[in-house]
Amino acid sequence: MLDLRSLAVGYRSAGRALLSGMDVSAEPGAFICILGRNGAGKSTLMRTIAGLQPSLDGVAALGGENVASMRPGTRARRIAVVLTERQFNPGLRVEDMVALARQPFTGWEGRLGDGDRAAIAEAVAVMGIEPFARRYFSNLSDGERQRVMIARALAQTPRLMILDEITAFLDLPSRVEIMALLRSQAKAKGQVVLLSSHDLDLSLQLSDSVWLLDGAGGFSVGTPEALSQSGAVGRAFDTDAIRYSPSQGRFEIRTSESA
Amino acid sequence: MSMRISSRAAALIVALAGLSLLTLTCGQIALPLADTVGALTGTQSSDLARQIVLEIRLPRVAAAIIAGAALGMAGVLMQALFRNPVADAWSLGLLAGGQFGVALTVTAAAFAGPAAVAFLTVFEGPSITLAAAAGVAAAALFMLALGRRVGAITLLVIGLMLGFTSQGLTSVLLHFAARAGGRVYGGWQDASFAAVAPAALPWLLAPILIGAGVAVATAKPLSSLLLGETYARSLGVKVTSLRHAVLAATVLLVAPVVAFCGPVSFVGLIAPHFARALAGTARILPLLPLAALGGALLALAGDAIVHAPWEQHFLHLNAILAIVGAPVVILILVFSPAVRQWR
Repeated sequence: MLDLRSLAVGYRSAGRALLSGMDVSAEPGAFICILGRNGAGKSTLMRTIAGLQPSLDGVAALGGENVASMRPGTRARRIAVVLTERQFNPGLRVEDMVALARQPFTGWEGRLGDGDRAAIAEAVAVMGIEPFARRYFSNLSDGERQRVMIARALAQTPRLMILDEITAFLDLPSRVEIMALLRSQAKAKGQVVLLSSHDLDLSLQLSDSVWLLDGAGGFSVGTPEALSQSGAVGRAFDTDAIRYSPSQGRFEIRTSESA
Repeated sequence: MSMRISSRAAALIVALAGLSLLTLTCGQIALPLADTVGALTGTQSSDLARQIVLEIRLPRVAAAIIAGAALGMAGVLMQALFRNPVADAWSLGLLAGGQFGVALTVTAAAFAGPAAVAFLTVFEGPSITLAAAAGVAAAALFMLALGRRVGAITLLVIGLMLGFTSQGLTSVLLHFAARAGGRVYGGWQDASFAAVAPAALPWLLAPILIGAGVAVATAKPLSSLLLGETYARSLGVKVTSLRHAVLAATVLLVAPVVAFCGPVSFVGLIAPHFARALAGTARILPLLPLAALGGALLALAGDAIVHAPWEQHFLHLNAILAIVGAPVVILILVFSPAVRQWR
């Protein structure tokens, strides 16, 4: 459903692409984690696939249609995002935030129909945010805000969901819960879910497929097991201080003996 | 429109009607209520009552309602566009910019000679509205460019400073215009609804009606912009054209107010907060009618206090608005969660 064809992403002003020649496909229901160190191009890649930033070369296509040339309204009905940008506004309540997700589906007034209300109610229930639905978004904790933003994306009923480092502000049980929840949503609705994360363990355990950015413009795609065994994970993340152990499936501190 | 919004709007309309009647009745010469109503409906009333109500008080009340409503709606637009709870046409220097535009035009005409002054006098309504619109638009574009670089509070301080600068320049310009024999808008540097002649009311109202129409048309995408620019784009909003449309609506709403009533302070800043509290939402569409009615009510109340039967005429509109408005702004700055983000 999602096809990247020789996609190159980056900023034109930087002179060269952060990532190039990406040829990857994802089937409906795929739960995909994008892994890589800071600056490897995760956010840029996701913004490009979401149609929020022009690609340097190549195409990201959803259902055979080039995302970059979709009409903004069409794109908004098919792709939902949760970003790291944190922008807050006076007087926006949680229920308003989630309801705004339905704007691409409503008329000029933004009046909600029965289908819109059902989508909102389901997203609110799935993320468990009813208890603070009437509160101001800006008065919530980081974890609560993150749940609201994910509920907002779910309420947009997209074919493709793009979530950038959504687990950064959550404690471990919440991270597991939310990632597992997104995975089951992807399966239940046949959506493609693209999620970037620094949670290596969790991502390798839960994802169907991993897009691993090595930080030097290269990338590898595969199942978590394959990437782990091939040493690609190690190449992307090893430093002088730590190294990935494929046999144990986790990082080890390098000691003087093993180094 | 939901029941909540309709019922609150209805209550505001009743309050506005009551206050209008009170303002038409009371004043230096108190009229019996029956005479006031009689003058309004054209039935039995003395000539004096008819003259006072229809020629003196009604234009003033109408100007206060129209200008207050325009400033209230413009406040809603600007607070959403700048994502700043203390933004409005006055606080960000748009009104002062408009004044400067008018002063520049008047001065230019004064120096250009009697023909230009005569032209300006004949086409007073459209020409000063246009001059104000140019000034408002210039100030708005400047603040919008700045708004992307600085925080909410910094922007407020810069807006107020821009306002002081424009007002200083305006007073200097008008001084030269007076020496050159041009027409000086007497007392216009203070805000007042009393100087609006009945013939000027259509010039005040027409751009504001168009501006209100544009505001309503942009309400839905502007609600998305409350989430921030990137989320708005992800919801299919064309952010650049939205900005231009909102800016156009703001200029249409604000320029006639500056041109005919001067720099009316605080109304546009407070009315949106009042509307949000009544509406229980920050979505733009339900806020527009409530902020319009709230702004009209506030402006009319200020005017009613100014023109109450005091021993002598000593109150200025902006003095009343400042006494009521400035403490409200202080409360917003101290308690608003959105402002707290910037500290």
